[in-house]
Amino acid sequence: MDRALSWLLGGRRPLASHLLLAPAAAWMIVFLVLPAAGLLLLSLAKNGPYGEILWTLSLNNYRRAFDPKYLPVLLRTLGFAGGTTLLTLLLGYPLAYFLSFRAGRWRNAMLIGLMVPFWTSALVAFYSWMIILGKEGLLNAALLRFGFISAPISILYTSFSVLLGLVYFYLPFMVLPLYGSLEKIPRQYVEAAYDLGADRWTAFRKVTLPLSLPGVIAGSLLTFVPCLGDFLTAEILGGPRYYLLGNLISNQFLMAQDWPFGAALTCLLLTCLVGGLWLYRRWDDQA
Amino acid sequence: MMTDATRRDFLKIAVLAPLMPALMAACRRADTRRVVNFYNWSNYIGKDTLPEFTRRAGVSVRYDLFADEEEMFAKIRAGARGYDLVVIGDYLIPRFKSLNLIDAVPSGTLKNMGNLAPRFRRPSYDPDETTIPYLWGTTGIAYNRRKLAKQPSSWWDLWDPKYKDRISMLDNVRDCVAVAMQLLRIPQTTRDPEDFRKVRELLLRQKPLVRQYSSSSYLNSLVAGEIDLAMTWSGDLFQAARDNPDLDYVLPKEGTYMWVDCLAMLRGSRHREDTLRLIDYLLEPEVAGSISNSVRYATPNAKAFPLVEKALRRDPRVYPTPQTMGQLQLHHILDPEQSEMWNQVWADVKVS
Repeated sequence: MDRALSWLLGGRRPLASHLLLAPAAAWMIVFLVLPAAGLLLLSLAKNGPYGEILWTLSLNNYRRAFDPKYLPVLLRTLGFAGGTTLLTLLLGYPLAYFLSFRAGRWRNAMLIGLMVPFWTSALVAFYSWMIILGKEGLLNAALLRFGFISAPISILYTSFSVLLGLVYFYLPFMVLPLYGSLEKIPRQYVEAAYDLGADRWTAFRKVTLPLSLPGVIAGSLLTFVPCLGDFLTAEILGGPRYYLLGNLISNQFLMAQDWPFGAALTCLLLTCLVGGLWLYRRWDDQA
Repeated sequence: MMTDATRRDFLKIAVLAPLMPALMAACRRADTRRVVNFYNWSNYIGKDTLPEFTRRAGVSVRYDLFADEEEMFAKIRAGARGYDLVVIGDYLIPRFKSLNLIDAVPSGTLKNMGNLAPRFRRPSYDPDETTIPYLWGTTGIAYNRRKLAKQPSSWWDLWDPKYKDRISMLDNVRDCVAVAMQLLRIPQTTRDPEDFRKVRELLLRQKPLVRQYSSSSYLNSLVAGEIDLAMTWSGDLFQAARDNPDLDYVLPKEGTYMWVDCLAMLRGSRHREDTLRLIDYLLEPEVAGSISNSVRYATPNAKAFPLVEKALRRDPRVYPTPQTMGQLQLHHILDPEQSEMWNQVWADVKVS
């Protein structure tokens, strides 16, 4: 037993330790590589009558994806993803800062508090938001009661409700990497800055902020990238005017019965994301 | 050197991966329990209908719901093989047939087949009776009596800028494009791109007024007062009106569409006998009558008609008078090319 384990863990034959990769590698092949290859193949197929898939391969679906009529969808998606990233950063940075520098013994409780909404299904959370934001919902009732408004206002199915849903859902994606990188900053560095005569603001600006930048970038990527493909938020909290890239793709599969086109759109989105991440890694390695 | 070896090891593992499906298939056992897997619209059956069947026949029913026909179709086409019985709209039947997704129900073997009204036998959308009519209804306008000064009477009311942001439309290509065609007096048989351009224009003109395209959640919005005017299916609105008595339903004066939802047996069903037993049960007059009472749609079952509540039976919006009946038309059965044109228009409306 011991011999087998030590063989597996390397020792004299380091190659054996690669066997440890087997379960994860099998998983990645079956659930990532093969489906991605299938998706790529599907994107070259042709959509037949009643959504049948005809295997006459061409780049036609990609040509269709660059139709200018999809440009507003793309811009809208970039706008919402960018806005969400910015807002979660503005909300999340002070929160992460407080968690790692000020929270003291409340830290764990607060971290759990941050995670709890994230453990609820997004579907349940968004339906709850519908109840809060509706014309006869809690928010309108409260505003009316305290005299801020004289008639119920539309909050649901506006850009505000979509943005709110996105920020609500993606905030932990931003806060956790930020918290991680702030937590790692040696406190002596900040103290050294004070000793050298820096005030709090200067110390933050010159020491803490630059050292937390990896967290800012990781958090922004973790928010921005999934936001680009999000369709549930717009589907539930957005009206017909907030049709995003994710909705366009999901509709090809569910409504329009045009799987090849949906696959082409997905491949394009994936290429942009992976390309973006790759560029970021190259920049990060050089820096 | 090292990287080469790594790659070779990786390949060895890659070779093993395709064995996984065989392994999983070996784990699958034959399904022998008596059960029928039934896939139906949400809110489309009586509360006691299925428990009663289980009690009587000793067959349990696994009941699953959908809120959108196109989504249901996508799921079944993608190979959701688990279902035995599914409810599909008349216009989908040719599509299911041409993709070989359903088996013909041997209607001759059903005891209660004769209960159906003659006009629902051998219908144009399914002349060889592959499927069995379940319920039928109309597409019309729902409105909130308390919030609207005037009762809507025409499809054009859904295009009235006065009601901006208070309108919902069904998220359904068939209904929306059909109504636009009706308003433009374009026959559903058209393949003229110019006609489709006009339809797109009309629907796009309406879009800024529309708060929601939805086929199920809009009912909650109506009840909650979020919207006051909606394109709806008759029975759905009557069900919603139980929660908000201010809601009412009108058939537009231009006339409208009727549709028939049918029970279809999916190909590859492993519970054929019990599925047929369930279909026969649903055709029993008492059962069909109580379903109609509970979901507020009309039953095609002539023997069940006298068992339907009087208020429902006498409501001309549920069981139209022979004269209004003349104004109701079935959806035209589209060929694949037309279907593609309809979908394209609808996709353009949704995307812009």
